Amino acid sequence: MRAVPGIHPRWRRRELSLLLAAAGGLFLGWVSLASTQAGRLTAGDPTLLIVYLALLFGVHGAFVLAGRRTDQVLLPTVGVLGGLSLLLMARLPQGLASQSFGSLELGLAPLQLLWLGLAVVLLGGLGIAVRNDYWLRYYKYSWAAAGIGLLLLVFFLGEEVNGQRLSLRLGPISGQPSELLKVILVVFLAGYLADNRALIAGSSTRLGPLRLPPLPYLLPMLAMWGLALSIVVVQKDLGAALLFFSVFLAVLYIATSRASLVVLGVLLFLVGAAALYQLFPHVRDRVDIWLDPFAQAQDRGFQIVRALYAFGRGGVLGTGLGAGLPQVGGSLAIPAIHTDFVFAALAEELGMAGALAILALYLVLAQRGLRIAVLAADDFRSLLAAGLTTVIVIQAAIIMAGNLKLVPLTGITLPFISYGGSSLLANAIIVGFLIALSDQGVEPLEAPRPGRRERLAAGARSVSDRIERVVS
Amino acid sequence: MDAFTLSLWVVRLLFVLLLYLFLALVGRSLWRDLRGAAATVGRPLGRLVVVGSTEGGPATGTSFVLDAVNSIGRDVNNSVVVEDTFASAEHALLTFRGRSWYLEDRGSTNGTFLNGERIEGLVPLGYGDEIQVGRVRLRLDRAPGE
Repeated sequence: MRAVPGIHPRWRRRELSLLLAAAGGLFLGWVSLASTQAGRLTAGDPTLLIVYLALLFGVHGAFVLAGRRTDQVLLPTVGVLGGLSLLLMARLPQGLASQSFGSLELGLAPLQLLWLGLAVVLLGGLGIAVRNDYWLRYYKYSWAAAGIGLLLLVFFLGEEVNGQRLSLRLGPISGQPSELLKVILVVFLAGYLADNRALIAGSSTRLGPLRLPPLPYLLPMLAMWGLALSIVVVQKDLGAALLFFSVFLAVLYIATSRASLVVLGVLLFLVGAAALYQLFPHVRDRVDIWLDPFAQAQDRGFQIVRALYAFGRGGVLGTGLGAGLPQVGGSLAIPAIHTDFVFAALAEELGMAGALAILALYLVLAQRGLRIAVLAADDFRSLLAAGLTTVIVIQAAIIMAGNLKLVPLTGITLPFISYGGSSLLANAIIVGFLIALSDQGVEPLEAPRPGRRERLAAGARSVSDRIERVVS
Repeated sequence: MDAFTLSLWVVRLLFVLLLYLFLALVGRSLWRDLRGAAATVGRPLGRLVVVGSTEGGPATGTSFVLDAVNSIGRDVNNSVVVEDTFASAEHALLTFRGRSWYLEDRGSTNGTFLNGERIEGLVPLGYGDEIQVGRVRLRLDRAPGE
């Protein structure tokens, strides 16, 4: 065990057995997909899956070598979600995304594998390397400023795609900074609330029946509300705005345990939503489509209508991987099937059974994250863990509910499953931080018993000491 | 239904079943965590066993059950009372922080020793280490029943 000095490996048997189960399941999924596509029982060409699984086991090995007592469930859970993503991307038409590196042209699945690989490595790296939170806690205002700077950059330099100004292009790579912004937001909120929670929880302003914190401390919250609204207005990004605001409310509630703040937040949200509905046509569109997608089934409501058909076609056990109908007559039934509608696509092919399993995986992430928050050593870490968990879970909930027509559809990604580099990397940062926050240190080492040689040396020393004293 | 369709359905169902197997394994892991957390509540963190003592102090073989914070000294208000003329009234503090034990001296006249070395400031220690307060030597052990 102690071949290299300074490295104390610590076996993670739970993580290993979970990873083995995940690998077995994903491999069977690959066989199912390849057989359906080939028309005979075959494993096809599982290179992509094998590379992905090798990366997962590689990160597991790195965790073992690091020897820290960190969470053992998060990596396999994220691994299964990412594996499902890889299966789906390998199954969809490869032309949905393409990027060429020199003469190498990559389609949807290899690109997703590239991002998944980077995400898994980033997750592992952060989980091992982040040992203190000083750089997050101390520079919280700098982080907030960086976040707002990022937002302004998108406001002025962003590209408009489908009427939404979301992405920023840097050479050949385009990214969505709002994905990174959500991490920065939680870091700032956790830092701010950990420092000021006593003041915010102690009420002094009264507004009718509501008891509110002192006015100066209300200001950052109103600023948050304004930020969310401005994202809607300028970026036309309803999903990010909804996500930011609900994460903000959740963290605020966790920090202060005051329901009145949440009530106030929901009231503000309703006021803002009503105003936006009146003022902006793109908001009105979304709500109208949600209320009755069949009224314009061939027009603006067709994505939702077809997603609902996909859920219906899936039934309880699904059509099987590769046997669904994402393409009708050569064109995609649902244009955004690899980003916004992955849940509908997976629910069609894996059925309600698979959809419930996916829901359960996000619940596992929620349980682990909140457990880490409860066990955290101080307020900042606790709030950070709770906030980061809320980001992933609320984001998953918003987009899955949007797919199912439970809430108006907003274009955000399903964490770890949707295609897209920014989303995968941002969520990997989140889970990497969670793993780092779950660190309970190295194993308390058994004290080394002094060996015979040391005892003899100590005895000799004490004898010579005594002799010296006697002589002097 | 031909053999291929049948076997394909078996593979598909096995895939979904394995997803649930994974979830069951996770569930078992969460259950163990909860049980582990329930078991640690109320269980002593460790004990101090007297391995060497003078005529006045606690008899050799006596053991003290430890909490998260344990004060050691001659005063009767300490959680570990050491009746030894070489021990100070408030001699040392043994604390369990997070996952490991720490020992610190509280400004005693004759000092606190860990494995024969006089300590300065806060020092970490593990099970099996020997603390010396005055002329009484105490060994940190795991709580019984582990």
